Amino acid sequence: MLQLYNVSKAYQRDQNALTDITLKIEKGEFVYLTGPSGAGKSTFLKLLYCAERPSRGQILVNGRNVTRFGATRIPYLRRDFGIVFQDFKLLNRRTVYENVSFPLEVTGSKRFEVSKKVYQALKQVGLQHRLKDYPLQLSGGEQQRVAVARALVVDPLILLADEPTGNLDPDVTLELMELFKDANARGTTVVMATHDRHLINRFPRRVLTLEAGRLLSDHTS
Amino acid sequence: MLGRSGYHLRRALRNMRQSPVLSLASVATVAVSLALLAFFTLAVLNVQQLTAAWGEEMAIVAYLDAPPEDKVLQAWIDEIRAYPEVVGVTFISKQDAYERFKRRLGEEADLLEGLEPEILPASLEIQLQEDQRRREVVEQVVERLRRDARFSDLDYGSDWLDKFEAFLLFLRVAGAALGSFLVFAALVIVANTIKLTLYARQDELEAMTMVGATPLFIKAPYLVEGALQGLFGGLAALVITWLSFRLMLMDMLAQLLMISGIDTIHFLPPAWQGAVVLGGGLVGLAGSLFALRKFVRIGPV
Repeated sequence: MLQLYNVSKAYQRDQNALTDITLKIEKGEFVYLTGPSGAGKSTFLKLLYCAERPSRGQILVNGRNVTRFGATRIPYLRRDFGIVFQDFKLLNRRTVYENVSFPLEVTGSKRFEVSKKVYQALKQVGLQHRLKDYPLQLSGGEQQRVAVARALVVDPLILLADEPTGNLDPDVTLELMELFKDANARGTTVVMATHDRHLINRFPRRVLTLEAGRLLSDHTS
Repeated sequence: MLGRSGYHLRRALRNMRQSPVLSLASVATVAVSLALLAFFTLAVLNVQQLTAAWGEEMAIVAYLDAPPEDKVLQAWIDEIRAYPEVVGVTFISKQDAYERFKRRLGEEADLLEGLEPEILPASLEIQLQEDQRRREVVEQVVERLRRDARFSDLDYGSDWLDKFEAFLLFLRVAGAALGSFLVFAALVIVANTIKLTLYARQDELEAMTMVGATPLFIKAPYLVEGALQGLFGGLAALVITWLSFRLMLMDMLAQLLMISGIDTIHFLPPAWQGAVVLGGGLVGLAGSLFALRKFVRIGPV
């Protein structure tokens, strides 16, 4: 599903955020991306959904070489991804329903399909009763569940999560992990950046460890 | 894309509702700019119409110091009527000229009391073929007549036409200069309004790009918003121009053009009214395009 060949990324000359990364992630895998702050986890994810371009190397997503994708092809590539951020990135002027329906509107889904899928996605995360509320009326955990519903509503091939539990308390973190596991069980490839060792130990999966931009280890926890 | 025009329209209207002050500022600027442009157009069209009407009545008058006897006069008339551009020649005697002048003076005809009809010269009024009533043709005929010593004293209202043509040119140039400046100002203000809206919605734009929205999809509501602001501005300009026309401009133009009745002063024709509204829409659309040019970035730096 995801292939990286000798990928490096430098934001400034002689200062690599990622150095010579080569790896494969198969369809339906659940992979943790871990390492200390500044190790290159977020850059790794950004390269996958083309928010950044690698300085060297090639990246293949679902068989397509996305390394030189231009602005016209990137939107269509991103429709294969669901992305969850640490700071949720919800639209505070829009209701929960509108936040989750947003990716479907963008892809031009029919109205009746939108309402059906949004309801299902919110039911999955247990927030079907809050669809008329605004994000700021919800707790942090609930907001992150809305963000997950937004990511999953399009049935993505790949779910990218950048420190999704970073701002959440332990109980909510476990609830969220269950949601990611469910999505993975339905066939979605999950790549989750985290530095939470407890979480990795509690839900063991393949772990990619980055340090100072290099792939330090690739093992199953 | 067109299939989702309803979505973009809803989004645009929602954006405008969320920033009413900014939207009103754009609408007002477009309205004022286009209203001023419409005032000038109104004046130019009316002056143009008037000079065209005068052009249609354009006749050449050859004044005669002493009219010859009837036979000779008839020969002169026949001679001029033989010109291919001429459709008719009428002899106006001193008495006819006096009577006509008296009629034109109307209530003030008593000013002529004590004066003899002899004070006015007799003349030949030369009418041109309808399709020949153009300034250059008139001047050609006048030139030909002037070469003949019998018709040296000729008049065809050239001074008036010169003055009005100069006035028309002034109106056109002043209108175009001021209008272009104001339209440009409106365009910049619409562009800035849209830019401010975009700054306020950075999070939304970012989220849209993350979920796979194409640049056109992201830009479309803002383009619709600009065009709508422009169209509303154009409509407001039309209303302002119409109200000013009824309350003030009509009388002002009548006085300026020295026309006794205001029936001959007309409002903008329907095509021009449409152009004002559509022009507003175009100014708004161009303003948003200008604002969006470098704003929506999808890919990596």
